[in-house]
Amino acid sequence: MDNLYEPLRQYLQQLATQGDLPLSFQYGFVVNALLCALFIGPLLGAVGTMVVTKRMAFFSQAIGNAAMTGVAIGVLLGESYTEPYVSMFVFCLLFALALNFTKQNSNLSADTLIGVFLSISLAVGASLLLFVSAKVNTHILEAVLFGSVLTVSDTDINILILVSVLVVAIGGPLFNQLLLTSLNPSLAAARGARVKLLEYIFVIIITVLTVACLKIVGAVLVEALLLIPAAAARNVISSMRGFVFLSMAIATISCFAGIMIPMEFDLPIPSGGAIVIVAAMFFIATTLIALLSSRYRGAGL
Amino acid sequence: MSTVHKALADTPGPALQLQQLSLSLGNTEVLQDISFAIKAGEVHCLIGPNGGGKTSLLRCLLGQMPHRGSIAIDYAQASVEAQQLTGYVPQQLHMDKTLPLTVNDFMAIACESRRPVFFGMSSAGKSISEQLLDRVGLGANKRRRPVGSLSGGERQRLLFAQAMIPRPSLLLLDEPLASLDQGGVQQIIELIAECSAQGTTIVWVAHELSLVKEVADSVSCISRQLHATGPVEEVLNNMDPDILYRPVSDYIEVEHG
Repeated sequence: MDNLYEPLRQYLQQLATQGDLPLSFQYGFVVNALLCALFIGPLLGAVGTMVVTKRMAFFSQAIGNAAMTGVAIGVLLGESYTEPYVSMFVFCLLFALALNFTKQNSNLSADTLIGVFLSISLAVGASLLLFVSAKVNTHILEAVLFGSVLTVSDTDINILILVSVLVVAIGGPLFNQLLLTSLNPSLAAARGARVKLLEYIFVIIITVLTVACLKIVGAVLVEALLLIPAAAARNVISSMRGFVFLSMAIATISCFAGIMIPMEFDLPIPSGGAIVIVAAMFFIATTLIALLSSRYRGAGL
Repeated sequence: MSTVHKALADTPGPALQLQQLSLSLGNTEVLQDISFAIKAGEVHCLIGPNGGGKTSLLRCLLGQMPHRGSIAIDYAQASVEAQQLTGYVPQQLHMDKTLPLTVNDFMAIACESRRPVFFGMSSAGKSISEQLLDRVGLGANKRRRPVGSLSGGERQRLLFAQAMIPRPSLLLLDEPLASLDQGGVQQIIELIAECSAQGTTIVWVAHELSLVKEVADSVSCISRQLHATGPVEEVLNNMDPDILYRPVSDYIEVEHG
C-alpha cells in the first residue's frame, strides 16, 4: 500500500528538481498534502453548499467535536493514536444518529439541542483526550482540532479517496431531493422523497466526510471549509450550478494556496491556518463585491 | 366542469372514497369523522374557513398524516397504461429568499430526481419544463431569476408548473390562485381545465366561490367536520355562507352550546 503513491511522488519530485514545478514539490509530504487537497477541496466545497442551505453548520461542528471523544475511546481501546479510524467512525456515527433522532423527535429548537450535544461532546471529549494524552505523552488534542496536513500517511489518503467515492456515489443522486426537502418537505415527499431517511443519510455523509478529513486538516478546518467557501460563493452567485462550482473552486484553491504559499515563501504559518486565511480572503472579497453591486441586489429584498 | 363539454377521457384519474377520516395533531382535533366520495375524473373543490383543516385533508390524501379512518384511491377505471401519478401544488415554499436557486433550477430539482441540478437538466426534461413555464406565464426572461426574487403570484405559477411534470392522474391543489392577478387566474384555470379534459381527478382547496361555481363538478365544505358535500349547485345554493367566515373554534362552541 505504501508504494501506491510513490511513483506519483517521485515523478513530481523529478519535475520539481528540473524546475518545471515549484521546489516544494520535492518533498513527499507536500505532494501528499496536495493530493489530499484535490479531494478535500471539491468535496467539502460541494457538501458545504448543502450544509449552508440546510442551516446545519452548527450540526457539523458538533460532529467534529464528537471526534475528540472518538479518538480518546480509540486510544483507550488500544488503537494507534495516529489512526484511530474505527472508533472515530463508530463513535461519530452513533453521536450523529443520536443527535438527528433527538432533533426529529423533540420539541426543543434545533440550535438549542445541537448546542447541548456540542457542549457535552466538547467537554467530555477534551477531558478524555487530555487524560489519555497524559498516558501516551503526545498532543493528541491539537492533532484532532487542527490536523496535520503535512504528515498525512498513505492510509489517510486511501480512506479519503474511498469516502470521496462513496459520498459522490450516494450523495450525488440525492442532491435534488435534499434541496427540495429544505424548500417544502411536503412537496418533496409528494414527489417521492423519503424525507426522514434523507435527513439521516445527509447526517451520515457529513459525519464520514468529517472523520475522513479530520486527521488531515483537523476538526476546526473541516468546519471552516464546509462553511466559508459556500458562504463566499453565495454572496455573488444566483444559480445552483454557479453556487456549487464556485464553492468547490474556492475550497480547492484555498487548500492549494494554504499548503503552497507558506512553503514557497518560508512563512511561519501552519498550513491549516493559511488555508482558512485564503478562504476568508475570498469571503471578504465576495462580500465587498456584493455590497458594492447592491443596487443590483436591492431588487431582491 | 359543469358547463364545459368533457370529451370521453382515455385515462380517467382515480375515484376517491373517504370514510370517517379523522386527524388529531397534538391536542387538537383537526378533522372529525369526514366521509365523502369523489368520482373519477371530477373536479372537486374543498371550501371552508381558514384553519378548518382543508390543507390537512389534502396532506392526508398524500399519505403524509397520521389519520384515522380510511382513504381509498381507486384507479380501477383507469386504463392499464395509466400511471398512478399524483401532482401536488402546495401553498408556498419555505425558502430563504437569497438562496441561489433559479426558476430553471427549481424545475430541475422538482422534476429530475437523479441528475444533480448543478449538471443542468437533460435536454428532454428541459424542453418539457420550458413549455410548461411558458404556459403558466413564466417566460424566458424569468427563467434565470432566483425563485426568491419572484412575486407571490409568479411563485404560485412555478409551483403549478412542477405539478404538471409528469402529467398527473390525481391533482391536488392548495389555493393555487391566491396571489394571482386576473390574467394569472385565467392561465391557471385553463391549465386545470385541460387536465380535467384529459380525465385527471382534481381536488382543489379554493377560497373564491365564484370560481368554484365556474369550474367545479362537486364541492365539500370542511370546517373540522364535513358540513356539506355534493354537486356544486346544490351545495352552494343551500349552504349558510356564514360557515365560510366563522372561525373553527366558534362553530364548535355553538354546536355544544
